[in-house]
Amino acid sequence: MVQPESKLDVVIIAPPTIEHQEEPVKLSSSKNQEKPSKPSIMVNINASYFRVCISLGGQALLWKTLSEKTDIPPNFHNLFTMLPSTAFVLLWCVALCVLVSLSILYAMRCIFYFNMVKAEFHHHVGVNYLFAPWISWLLLLQSAPSFIFRNKYSYEYVWWLLIIPVVGLDVKVYGQWFTTEKRFLSMVANPTSQLSVIGNFVGAHAAIKMGWRESGTCLFTLGLTHYMVVFITLYQRLSGSNHLPSRLRPVFFLFVATPSMAALAWKSINGSFDVQCKMLFFLSLFLFASLASRPMLFKKSMKEFSVAWWAFSFPLTFLALAATAYAHQVKCVVASGLAILLSAISVLVFIFLLVFSTLKIDSLFANPKSHLMY
Amino acid sequence: MEKSNDLGKDSPTEAVPSLIRSADGHQILGFDDDDTKQSDSNFQFMVSFQIKTQLVMEWRDFIKLINESALKMAVRVADNQWLDLINLVVIEFLFEFFQKPSGNDIESSSDSSSREATQSVSISMPHLRLDAERVVLKDEVEAAGNDSPENSGTHEVKFHSEPIIMGGGTDDQTVAGKTPEHRLILPVKNPRLDEFKDNRYNSFKTWSGRLERQLSTLRGKPRNEPEINPPQNLQGETLSVDRYFDALEGPELETLRPQEEIMLPEDKKWPFLLRFPISSFGICLGVSSQAIMWKNLASTASTHFLHISLRVNYTLWCISILLFAVVAVTYLLKVIFYFEAVRREYYHPIRVNFFFAPWIALLFLAIGVPDSVMRKLPHSLWYVLMTPIFCLELKIYGQWMSGGQRRLSKVANPSNHLSVVGNFVGALLGATMGLKEGPIFFFAVGLAHYTVLFVTLYQRLPTNETLPKELHPVFFLFVAAPSVASMAWAKINGSFDYGSRLAYFIALFLYFSLAVRVNFFRGFKFSLAWWAYTFPMTGAAISTIRYSSEVSNVVTKALSLILSTVATVTVTGLLITTILHAFVLRDLFPNDIGIAISDRKSKTQKKWYHRGTCGSAKDAEHQGKTRNSGEKEVRIPVIHPAN
Repeated sequence: MVQPESKLDVVIIAPPTIEHQEEPVKLSSSKNQEKPSKPSIMVNINASYFRVCISLGGQALLWKTLSEKTDIPPNFHNLFTMLPSTAFVLLWCVALCVLVSLSILYAMRCIFYFNMVKAEFHHHVGVNYLFAPWISWLLLLQSAPSFIFRNKYSYEYVWWLLIIPVVGLDVKVYGQWFTTEKRFLSMVANPTSQLSVIGNFVGAHAAIKMGWRESGTCLFTLGLTHYMVVFITLYQRLSGSNHLPSRLRPVFFLFVATPSMAALAWKSINGSFDVQCKMLFFLSLFLFASLASRPMLFKKSMKEFSVAWWAFSFPLTFLALAATAYAHQVKCVVASGLAILLSAISVLVFIFLLVFSTLKIDSLFANPKSHLMY
Repeated sequence: MEKSNDLGKDSPTEAVPSLIRSADGHQILGFDDDDTKQSDSNFQFMVSFQIKTQLVMEWRDFIKLINESALKMAVRVADNQWLDLINLVVIEFLFEFFQKPSGNDIESSSDSSSREATQSVSISMPHLRLDAERVVLKDEVEAAGNDSPENSGTHEVKFHSEPIIMGGGTDDQTVAGKTPEHRLILPVKNPRLDEFKDNRYNSFKTWSGRLERQLSTLRGKPRNEPEINPPQNLQGETLSVDRYFDALEGPELETLRPQEEIMLPEDKKWPFLLRFPISSFGICLGVSSQAIMWKNLASTASTHFLHISLRVNYTLWCISILLFAVVAVTYLLKVIFYFEAVRREYYHPIRVNFFFAPWIALLFLAIGVPDSVMRKLPHSLWYVLMTPIFCLELKIYGQWMSGGQRRLSKVANPSNHLSVVGNFVGALLGATMGLKEGPIFFFAVGLAHYTVLFVTLYQRLPTNETLPKELHPVFFLFVAAPSVASMAWAKINGSFDYGSRLAYFIALFLYFSLAVRVNFFRGFKFSLAWWAYTFPMTGAAISTIRYSSEVSNVVTKALSLILSTVATVTVTGLLITTILHAFVLRDLFPNDIGIAISDRKSKTQKKWYHRGTCGSAKDAEHQGKTRNSGEKEVRIPVIHPAN
């Protein structure tokens, strides 16, 4: 695995003349202004910044789900009605703006600094984050307020537009795992490999919403098969823990995200949150408990703020979504309580991260070591 | 060295049973070499007596002890030393039962001539004489070097000397005269306490032996020697898993590699508690699963043709409850008194899985409870039983996932099935009780991790250091998880549907593929852990019975009959072997080498056969080596410079 590393090193040294000015891009709901020092931002931004967008999209989906649920037991119902739907719409618009600006920035990075994008593609962590933009767009698509997509077909077109890159990446990445010599799964597997699986599940979930069952099932199967392989490989930890820099430890929470998303996707295929969905949800819950009881694992990564902290947020959101679906199915107090609790945790973490990022926006974008994000 | 003597100031006047008194007499005799002849005859008497009546003597001692203590208590109450007495009675009883090494296998290192003459003779003498010296020397010291082997022999032999009936009212005075520091109400307890206070085992005791000192202080014994801090501080050290792999070998990681050394004397029997491994809970697993099988045989419609009565289940269940209580209490004592040893067992890559065994055994007991005892178990029982399993799981699976030195690719071994099967057994019990969500939770977790483990073990990765190269009974654990999972899924779903059948057929296939290779299960040393490997066979039999109740034809009935028979025969054979090892061969609890490995690999490649003789040379090497960590104390090998 030396080869990709060295490539990345070269890339870092490449633009020596660009000074890293602190030109923060405001993450508020106002329009993005593109600063003159945009080159530095383009250099700094890599696909992992889309974590922020995934988190925003996930939160929007959660708020939408919560505000839609009508048959929650009456004592909890009041809590949900306190979240007015306008809050959800506002959040969705914020998410949309951020995603649009980030996408534009990344598109420009592709154009101007294509070699850097290529380097990302060859990196064992970076390649998985190439799924992230599509995941964010798909989530935003699913959580869109109902007044956006008046025309039935517009949803489908957008979906197709988004799913083709996902499938293309699937073929490339998964094919590499078992065919080529350079990037065996046993060597490159790391927790971010689950992002590709999540991409499939999110695509399947969105497809079923459209009514396209076959495509949804196909994507789900793809995701599930590779999830099994990745899960087992990751648990084996064949190459030890030295594969992931300690700064990226928060991505362990991806273990929590994948089964939850699988549960949601299977629920939409099946129609109800049946036993298999419950099992996936429980697995996700167990992994969450397992990670939450190991704070020492994340100690090193919590020393300095980085965009990797956003990796905490969307798995919790997915877990909360699955818990809500579970509570919807099993109408008992414990389940509803669990759903409330997990949603509350997810919202709190999200708000905390949002505030923190806004305060430390300069370190988020102009961190000279951000190239070393991987 | 504790002097348990303050209570013994006026001991000789009480009615000491002759049995106990004889020990003193014998000890005193040992002082004088011209009593050898008498000791000879005693020796013969002793040996035959001992083999036949050892157990009986223990119980008799116990009863006598109680009698005596009652007497003493009556006397002592006036003296306000009742607390001492109670402590004394309790602790000495415990020590007597668990500290004395059993068996005739005296180590070879003792002085052979005196050994022939009478074990008691040569050994009592130095022990008593050198007691003072032992006080001064540090822990882990073979007291006064060359005499230590005899010292340890002393303990065993002192026990042997018990049955010898010898009168002698003057014995106590002689005792008192010679060794004033050993005055006790019950002088015979002296040897046991002494052996317990053998400081070599201190590092394995709780708080390095300070617990015992605390207890002794509670008993009011004067501390007339300085507080000895064990130079070797094991507390808080975590043995890395690599250390276990380096030092041990064998399918159960029990055998010491040739160039390794251990921290405890190799050549003598350690205290019983130190030799009691956690894998002893395997017996409970084996027997309680048999109880479940016989319950199913009696109550399933498809096996009614066998006319099995429920009494078999009842008997087996009672036996297993009793067995579990005994094993649990013993292990609890080990936790109390030898916490360090328990910690080392926890860090052993194979033994850690056996920490699930007590809870699984309790779950089996709950599943196999006869209807006459309790028909409906409370739900809270399930939560109580699953909580320790849940916490252990969080720890173990988290270790697998987060990499590091205990990652699965490195430590995977068939015993890991024990950590996974607990989930399925809990799911089975919960579903039987009528719970809904909890069983599904544990089933899901168990299934996910079972898949991982199954694939990893099938791969037999080259990085895996713990997989036995040859076929070993531990491989039968492969059959456990699918068979229990099939039953659990059937209970959760209500019927033995396709999911259960899938799991059941996998279990069956694995069983057969191991059964046809039964020739290869040869040449292994028997260990108590083998009991744990019988419950998969029983589990397969139970799931076959369940399957035959669903798909009822000749084949399935015959299969259930055959598998039940095989399971029963195996358990019976194992029982016989266990009894054989316990009473005839007396090595049911051999020295637990696996937990006594030293923290550092011995840099020397020389084999040293006899600690006693090579002691000083070895020590020079040890002392001369630069230890890599300054924060650790100097490693004290078994041999300390004797001079």
